[in-house]
Amino acid sequence: MKLNLSKLPSDEEQRQALLVKIASVREVVLGAPLRFVLKNLTTKTVAPEMDQLIALVHRPKESFFLVPQAEKVTVVYPMRFQDSTDIVLATSFLQELVEARRSAGLNNAPSCMWSSSPPLELKGAPAQALTANAGFVTFVISPRHVEGKKLDRTVWSLLTFHAYVSYHVKCSEGFMHTRMRRRVESLIQALDRAKSESEKSKKLVSGNSLKRLSLNDARSNSNS
Amino acid sequence: MDAASRPAVVIDNGTGYTKVGYAGNVEPSFVLPTVAAINESFLNQSDGKNTGNYLAQYNAGIMADLDFFIGDEALSLYRSSGIYSLSYPIQHSKVTNWDTMEKFWQQCIYNYLSCDPEDHYFLLTESPSSSPEDREYMGEIMFETFDVPGLYIAVQPVLAISAGCSTDKPQMTGVVVDIGDGATHVVPVVDGYVIGSSIKSFPVSGNDVTQFVSQLLRERGELIPPEDSLEIARKVKEMYCYTSSDIVKEYKKHDKKPDKYIKQWSGVKPMTGVPFSFDIGYERFLGPEVFFHPEIYMDDYDTSLSDVIDMCVQSAPIDTRRGLYKNVVLSGGSTMFKGFQKRLQTNLKKTVDDRLAASNARLGADVKSNPVEVNVVSHPVQRFAVWFGGSVVGSLPEFYESCHTKEDYDEYGASICRTSPIFKGMY
Repeated sequence: MKLNLSKLPSDEEQRQALLVKIASVREVVLGAPLRFVLKNLTTKTVAPEMDQLIALVHRPKESFFLVPQAEKVTVVYPMRFQDSTDIVLATSFLQELVEARRSAGLNNAPSCMWSSSPPLELKGAPAQALTANAGFVTFVISPRHVEGKKLDRTVWSLLTFHAYVSYHVKCSEGFMHTRMRRRVESLIQALDRAKSESEKSKKLVSGNSLKRLSLNDARSNSNS
Repeated sequence: MDAASRPAVVIDNGTGYTKVGYAGNVEPSFVLPTVAAINESFLNQSDGKNTGNYLAQYNAGIMADLDFFIGDEALSLYRSSGIYSLSYPIQHSKVTNWDTMEKFWQQCIYNYLSCDPEDHYFLLTESPSSSPEDREYMGEIMFETFDVPGLYIAVQPVLAISAGCSTDKPQMTGVVVDIGDGATHVVPVVDGYVIGSSIKSFPVSGNDVTQFVSQLLRERGELIPPEDSLEIARKVKEMYCYTSSDIVKEYKKHDKKPDKYIKQWSGVKPMTGVPFSFDIGYERFLGPEVFFHPEIYMDDYDTSLSDVIDMCVQSAPIDTRRGLYKNVVLSGGSTMFKGFQKRLQTNLKKTVDDRLAASNARLGADVKSNPVEVNVVSHPVQRFAVWFGGSVVGSLPEFYESCHTKEDYDEYGASICRTSPIFKGMY
């Protein structure tokens, strides 16, 4: 895709709007089938030429599934992560997500379920698509979620769901590290209190890198 | 598209500013102050004192890890609301607070660059005085938290040299004078490898110049609101300071023609909204003079920067010295003063010529040595020379092979990041 930068509109607001449009090209192209299905939901029809199960590619080599019906659309995401800590954090995050849906005030949100085995809607899907190491998330979208303005937001949220989960998983990992470091600091303080005076003064002389080494040792031990 | 076909992400973390962008670009996409504003209210939860405001603490606990800001937003939010405290993770070009550094990187990647770290190779920079443990820690955070496919930790002076003064073939031999906000280093690089034993550091850096300017203004009795004095001094330094060739002549010039040299600064006091203004006079050239006469700012150090550079080259192997003198590269924001490059070149050339003349006099009239060419180079990307060098290195095809990869990390652990190919020496 080539962009002719000299033709950008000079007005700042228009330029921003255009840039946002260019940046969402991928979302628009990949999300076209999703939008079509959700639009049909507003009119409570099912286009006759569509299959029961639709696969939409949203990431390289990954897709999620739609089951369009007259009065609701079921969206199923097989969640896959590469790193082992990511998988564990994602699993608990998604389970928490389902729990949070039950809290008061979110009754209007689409209902959401998580299961570790492929749900029944995916019976017809190829086997390779059915392996997901962080489980399957199912959302049920009903017509009131896609009326009018909400259609755009729903499409965007559904398309970027994996990125959203991945972002929160990484932030949680960072937060875990913060807590691990705090705990290690407090343990080292306890250790220092037990040292005799002469050892303490020797420690001060050797400087910063030795302290770092002891911290690192403790961390790597707790990691492995 | 796998990670090797996407541009690498180049992040240059400095004491004052962090430069972030993609390799292959001419300038960094974002330049933000290296500061984070953190909401500390959730930290007290574990003490068990949570009696009253349970709901607020619960909410603070749920979203607490995401409730922080970095860069300019952090500074403005710190001023406007009281619950945030500022934290500077990098002091004197070394990372002291890894927590804040990890949070800082998280926001850089997700909020500013908006990229997925699993899709890009990363190039981070470190100062020449950093220890192997720092590199290991850096690698650990990058591979564990962000799952980057590959990481290259580059030493800042080598990147500054690859920024290149000539466009066709950058000279990989030279002395890099890197004057940043927190630390100043003089590093000789020969054929792309740092001569570790000859690295010299200089105790004056950008922050010290700012402090000195604000000290001079205060001593003269100018009315500046105290909470803003460092900010204002920094802006004064960036806008009006220049390097003179001779202080005595500058004093005379200022006194003879005050309207041409003395500038006015006007601002509004943040607390009361009352406008104020003051004059800027001798500070304009006294500020950068600290580099050449540190004794006017600190009591116990009196070697000028040009002498430090000279000492550094003299401590390098004898066959490299001509090449080093020929290519003295400036990098870092604090080298951007007008006239800095010329003054440094004149001083350095004088030192070298004096030494040559003395040795010629000792040897007698018939033996004459070749004059040594001294060249201090400045180029348009000086402010981001390190970032620009990183962008150049990150676009080379060999870059992807020389990174530490995630597979190596999983196999061998964080110790793979300890060694830097730069310090290993030639082979």
